[in-house]
Amino acid sequence: MNEPALEIRNLSKTFSGQVVLDGVDLVLGEAEVHALVGQNGSGKSTLIKVLAGYHQPDPGASASVAGQPLQLGSASAAHDCGIRFVHQDLGLVLELSIVENLMLTRPYPRAFPGRIRWREARLLAGQMLARVGLETDVRRPVGELGLADRTGVAIARALPDPALGRAVLVLDEPTASLPADEVERLLATIRRLRAAGNSILLVSHHLEEVLDVADQITVLRDGRRVVCTAGAGVDHDGLTRLIVGHDLAISTGRAEAVASTEAGVLHLEGVAGATVRSISVTVRRGEIVGIAGLTGSGREALGAMVSGRLPRTGDVLVDGAAVAPAAPSAALAAGLAFVPGERARYGTFASMTVRHNVTMGSLRRHVRRGRIDARSERREVQEWIEELGIVTRGADAAITSLSGGNQQKVLVARALRLEPKALVLDDPTAGIDIKAREAVHQIIERSTESGLAVLLVSTDSDELARLCDRVLVMSHGRVAREIRRGSDLSPEAIDLAQVAATAA
Amino acid sequence: MSTQASVRPKADGGDSDDSAGRTGAQSAPQFRQPISAVLGRYSALFLLAFFVIVFGALKPDLFLTASTFRITFSEGVVTAVVALAFLVPLAAGTYDLSVGAMMGTSLVIMNWFGANTDIPIGLVAVGTVVLCSLIGLVSGIIIVKFRVNSLIATLGVSQVLSAVTLKVSNNRQITGAFSDRFGELGGKIVFGVPIVVLYLLVLATVIWFVLEHTPVGRYLFAVGSNPEAARLAGLSTTRLTYGSLAASGGIAAIAGIIYAMRVGAYSEQAGPGLLFPALAAVFFGASQFSGRPNVWGTLIAYFALAFGVKGLQLSFGPGTFWIQPLFQGAALLVAVGLASRQISQTRRSRRTQAAAAAAYATRQPAS
Repeated sequence: MNEPALEIRNLSKTFSGQVVLDGVDLVLGEAEVHALVGQNGSGKSTLIKVLAGYHQPDPGASASVAGQPLQLGSASAAHDCGIRFVHQDLGLVLELSIVENLMLTRPYPRAFPGRIRWREARLLAGQMLARVGLETDVRRPVGELGLADRTGVAIARALPDPALGRAVLVLDEPTASLPADEVERLLATIRRLRAAGNSILLVSHHLEEVLDVADQITVLRDGRRVVCTAGAGVDHDGLTRLIVGHDLAISTGRAEAVASTEAGVLHLEGVAGATVRSISVTVRRGEIVGIAGLTGSGREALGAMVSGRLPRTGDVLVDGAAVAPAAPSAALAAGLAFVPGERARYGTFASMTVRHNVTMGSLRRHVRRGRIDARSERREVQEWIEELGIVTRGADAAITSLSGGNQQKVLVARALRLEPKALVLDDPTAGIDIKAREAVHQIIERSTESGLAVLLVSTDSDELARLCDRVLVMSHGRVAREIRRGSDLSPEAIDLAQVAATAA
Repeated sequence: MSTQASVRPKADGGDSDDSAGRTGAQSAPQFRQPISAVLGRYSALFLLAFFVIVFGALKPDLFLTASTFRITFSEGVVTAVVALAFLVPLAAGTYDLSVGAMMGTSLVIMNWFGANTDIPIGLVAVGTVVLCSLIGLVSGIIIVKFRVNSLIATLGVSQVLSAVTLKVSNNRQITGAFSDRFGELGGKIVFGVPIVVLYLLVLATVIWFVLEHTPVGRYLFAVGSNPEAARLAGLSTTRLTYGSLAASGGIAAIAGIIYAMRVGAYSEQAGPGLLFPALAAVFFGASQFSGRPNVWGTLIAYFALAFGVKGLQLSFGPGTFWIQPLFQGAALLVAVGLASRQISQTRRSRRTQAAAAAAYATRQPAS
């Protein structure tokens, strides 16, 4: 039998007494797609970082690539063995063209006296793209490409020269922010690379695609390998149980839709701007209305328009009162709170504490004679920490010391403490682990009990199917379909409607 | 093949006793800052103590005298106030490079009105503060409405202000012919402390209170941390920017007024030359205590450097006139260099902490 493409034995890693990886074995066969799954904190990112040479392993670990010993903890040794990494943020420069991005990590073909042979470079770039099955003009800026194609460019750049032999490609959460149809294209790229003899280590939270594409699945929990199983030998529920370590109390959805007699709280009337052509929708008291749609359908801009981050035309009304456009403060004053997407960019204040992040924007109730009463503020924040189950070492911990899921809960707390009448959430669980996702879902559900009207914009069909009373599927900037709870609301129906609406 | 059977943990994994085997790791992870970071936060205080001890030992009769301390403090007050003017907009992430020129403008206005009119000087002072605040507001409009980078906008404004002061003063020294009572306001010594130092302390306390203990201060730092998130959290980022620049103009005007009290005359070196020492103090100070721009860090950093310069001058005589810019330039580079190293260290340790916290959190319910 052939040597495995990558073999890691007995890998442990301890950070100041904290065991993060504990004797992990991993065997990646040749021309195999091997998925590495686990919750945040299970040790998968540490494993990847040791492999990338960013962390040193504890003594006792060994590794080999195609039978040749590999020194773990050395970036150059890993690179020399043909191990390549594509990280979640891809590391592309959006303003530069595809060919310029591809050439960032390798020398341009040159002529005297240092002039770039552009024609040759473009040819080379075209060949590199062909390896991942991409065909497009390499002079286009990467920013013009869809997310799946960008990932393709990043993979093409990471692949070593074919002359150096087959590669071991490590893809770290490549699909975290991809909508359903683009995920399929990326998976096709992965299969193509496998067919060409490359071996792929795929790190992912998305179990459907893991089950779809992986030959082997390694599950990590608390720094240990729980199991390594064939992808065909396990189903979604079984894998979830392995990852979490016990049955997750996932309610199968809300009992029934909110009665249509409830009063409407949030009205959108002819809202338009950017990719949105015209959207009208009414969200009633206690109702959760979902917005689905592929990238480009208008789904990605709608939340930002309602919250005032992006300009818009058309009317947004809360309890009948019009909200000024492009003014988040006006929306908040009208009782419309929001949890923006892209947490780090639009949500958190990285240099500040959990407390500052929760109370940002509304300190009035803690001000005594012009001074912030830190004790009263801390007390309130502590209540939110307990209420929402935020895992933090306290109200005064740096926000950056929290995991992504817990940072998201902080943003939810910031919105809910305003006691809004309506809440807009923009992809609230993107890139956070199963347990935190479940917690955020429960928080959203609970918040509607007191009559909050929720508009949930999401790329996650499971999430929409689980939480929403009805889901509006967007296409070409308009609502293409409405799927109601009680009739045919399911993740599959949403996926299907998204793709079908685009084709129409 | 049944799913259940195939996914059961393999025997060699030994995972069934997972939680039992790691009770030792159950205790909460330790969160500690590296020692060097802690020392770095008080480096300005150490430096100040170091200078006092070294120069005190070298020149005890010259350096360790009440008059040396008095002179160093009262000479430093104007620059320290200019530093505070730079500090306020910096909290909101805006650079105001016009603070030196603004101080010069304030000084020339005071002197011109003192020399050419009979308007009570108190009224002139109030008018000067208002006018300089308005000029700060203009900088704000250029930055916010015309989307000009704050470095460029305020650099441009500072050149325009220099032109105004040159024109008004006709490129000559103006002596404002201030009353003795006005001069006394700047020269008095109260309980052995120069009164201008008390002005500085009052001003610094007010700014400290606003920055650290009021919503406005919190919001300024929020804008400095993430302007887009600040806007989405409902803050009026434009008003905060306007306000911080207006405040900066007003504080710089106060620096000019204090200079007028102390020295009286206007000369063209007065204003713009203060920008760099002020800026050095703010950035050095930002590496102190909380690790972000702050009032007390700025003042201590400024006076640590001032005492260093004074000590060198006293120890090595009048040939050391070149020492001040060298000293301040080096201090700025070292301080900012150390601070950014510190930040990367803290980030790394935070990352480790985050990993540990996540591991800890996921482990809790399993036990």
